[in-house]
Amino acid sequence: MDVSLTDEQRAWQLKARKFAQEELRPISLQRDQVVDSRETFDWEIIKKGSKLGFRTAVVPKEWGGHGIDLVTQALVMTELAKGDSAMAKTFSQCWKWSHLIEARCTPDQKERFVKPFVADDTYLLGYAGTEPSAGSDHRLPPKDDLKAGWKLKAERKGDEWILNGEKCFIANASVAKLFFVGTRTNSNASQREGTTVFLVPIDTPGLRVGRVSNKSGWRFYQNGELIFENARVPHANLVGEVNRGTYLRGTSHPFGDFELGANALGICDAAVEMAMQHVQTRWQDAKYFIDNQTIQLKLSEMRMLTEALRSFVMRVAAEGFVMRDAAEGDAKTGHYASFLQNFGADVVQRVTVLNLDIHGGAGVMTIDAGAEKLVRDAVIWTHNVGDSVQRMRAIRQNIGF
Amino acid sequence: MYDLNLTAEQLEFRETVRDFVKREIKPITLHPDRLQPFEKPLLLDILDKASRMGLRTLALSQELGGAGADNLTSCIVMEELAAGDVDIATTLAQTSTLAQFLFDQAMTPEQRARFLPQFLADDRYHLAFAAHEPDPDLGWKYHRPVAGEADCRTTAVRQGNGDWVVNGVKAFIANAPIAKLIAVQVRIDPKTSGTGGVSTLLVPRDTPGLSVRDHHDIARQAGPDGRPSLLWYHGTRGEVVFKDCRVPADHVLGKEGENRLTGAAQSVRRGIPQLAAIDLGIGRAAYEAAVDYAKLRVQGGRHIIEHQAIGTILAGIVIKLEVAHNMVWKAAWALDHPDAVAKRSLSDLPLQTIASVFTFEVVHEITLDAAECFGAMGVMRDMPLQKYVHDSRIFLHSGDSNSVAKFRIAEAVAGFR
Repeated sequence: MDVSLTDEQRAWQLKARKFAQEELRPISLQRDQVVDSRETFDWEIIKKGSKLGFRTAVVPKEWGGHGIDLVTQALVMTELAKGDSAMAKTFSQCWKWSHLIEARCTPDQKERFVKPFVADDTYLLGYAGTEPSAGSDHRLPPKDDLKAGWKLKAERKGDEWILNGEKCFIANASVAKLFFVGTRTNSNASQREGTTVFLVPIDTPGLRVGRVSNKSGWRFYQNGELIFENARVPHANLVGEVNRGTYLRGTSHPFGDFELGANALGICDAAVEMAMQHVQTRWQDAKYFIDNQTIQLKLSEMRMLTEALRSFVMRVAAEGFVMRDAAEGDAKTGHYASFLQNFGADVVQRVTVLNLDIHGGAGVMTIDAGAEKLVRDAVIWTHNVGDSVQRMRAIRQNIGF
Repeated sequence: MYDLNLTAEQLEFRETVRDFVKREIKPITLHPDRLQPFEKPLLLDILDKASRMGLRTLALSQELGGAGADNLTSCIVMEELAAGDVDIATTLAQTSTLAQFLFDQAMTPEQRARFLPQFLADDRYHLAFAAHEPDPDLGWKYHRPVAGEADCRTTAVRQGNGDWVVNGVKAFIANAPIAKLIAVQVRIDPKTSGTGGVSTLLVPRDTPGLSVRDHHDIARQAGPDGRPSLLWYHGTRGEVVFKDCRVPADHVLGKEGENRLTGAAQSVRRGIPQLAAIDLGIGRAAYEAAVDYAKLRVQGGRHIIEHQAIGTILAGIVIKLEVAHNMVWKAAWALDHPDAVAKRSLSDLPLQTIASVFTFEVVHEITLDAAECFGAMGVMRDMPLQKYVHDSRIFLHSGDSNSVAKFRIAEAVAGFR
């Protein structure tokens, strides 16, 4: 396995590092501490990042994007997340759905949606899946309950589909211009067999944004409600086939897992850097913090876990989502990105808490605000896709159910 | 004998406080309007009501007008209060513990006659002990003396008529913003160093030359690295400034020059199991919320409590909670029965520190696991779960953080202290 970088990969990495250090990091804490969850977002940073190519990085070159490969995606995401995890996620959320457009949309849909997406620095993408009563039921639909899953109803009326219902916790809900929306099109069939996905622009009549979630971490990232009241969507916006909605995301799902692994790595890099800086400059009781054995052991664990995560991220990036199993004589053995996501969730929590711990001490009544933010951002990992649900999905896919 | 049968009085205390928390505290503290903002001002009205129930004077002896609660009873009460609001519990625990130390142990009869009636009569009369000075933290000392109180730079200079003039600054003093009587550690002999020459003076809040600022109102200072920092404690804390502050001669606590440090240290030790009990209260609130939700929420065709994944999380939570509970009660009981250590029924290791380190670690895990049961709702600021996570995290890294507390345990194991 060769992990040496090409000049182009290295150039993207350095460009992302510069942007993260010079633009994201300086506003990271400031945006995080805005009290109103609708006001944490900053369009200026999105525009700046978009002009550097981060928003459209994975759109193929023939459509006006940059077509960066998975290794480059991992490098860029890690660097951006080191500056600010939630801002990095806002860009990579667009990559996730660019992958889906590329894989599943018709030439006409690409023409209608990819062109404006590429041309407009403020055009963001989203996917509306989760509903109030469909959290893990949407991630891991039960086989024995036909009622479980999406309730948002889509009914065909001539050349249009009429959508009624509600989505919640939707990423980029209050800022995106285009959503993939999962709907129920057959109430007598399961989530697997009775759902359909549509492309829905935000200016669709009958669609509005509800509340923006007030999260403890990832505060810049806008999760919110989308309310559909007789929203009218043209039949031409149907993605794939009717009642085959859950089969669409075969290609995009591993990306979401991979993306979270790489983003977690960026947070870990930030935590390690912060801790290294602190222990080598902080002087107490006639010695630097780093001269304490207990500090060395904590730092050692932080670095060990971070480097293990980096190896995992880069292996998935280098080999693609279908990995070769060296133990089985190079047989392809399904995708490991879900395991990467779960490993990242464990590592990012442990590493950020160790960093906070290193910033503590005896008689401490204040704590480093940056170290505390990283811990709050890391907590998101066990909530955004459902931690145990994600772990069960990983093993079920691996076994092949 | 270590007996886990609670007395009728302890059971009644628990029921009364639990009912108070359910009716009066939770509707306010768990309301989204209070959960969402970053700053959560101390609920003074609730503190008043708690005082009228006798919780401010909980540990003060019955002879002096308190409830005479021992350490175990105090832990039971503080756990219940903290299940409603950690700041209320921390504030009351501080005043109640100090009341027992100051009025029952440290004051002369004359001092008691002067301060006790005001203290008993006024529901808003809280107490503070000002020792900590505004230096950075004490680091990670192991097998070496802890500077701490030895670094007392606040001075008291004797005047011709015997009065003292105090100058200096104390920082992050628990309860200072609401305290009406502050016991302050001062150096009375500039020639000595260490703990010699340090005394404790009783200073009423309205003494000219004494000013107190709530740390929430002080422009947020940068941390030791010059980076932005957050306040990281429960309850309320303030900076106490003495500027030519004149204190009468007879306000010395104990014999002049003979610092009641031992007594203060004892009172701190009494406080440790109560802090652990407060953290247990947070853990229990998170656990109860998770069980309620798991019985209500349907996914995968059944209530999520019926899924192995959630059931196992809840089992893990309750195992940790029960074991921590046991250790906290044992540590409190040990303080109430010093003979048990003397007669070697109990280990002479610092059981209180052991209990708190274990509790702080597992309650942090408990709150994270409980929040996980809520899926995305578990990270929302208008829900209680992230407050529980945040509150339990503060215990891990503030005051004597767990890492440093482990040094203290190791030093005891080595026979260093």
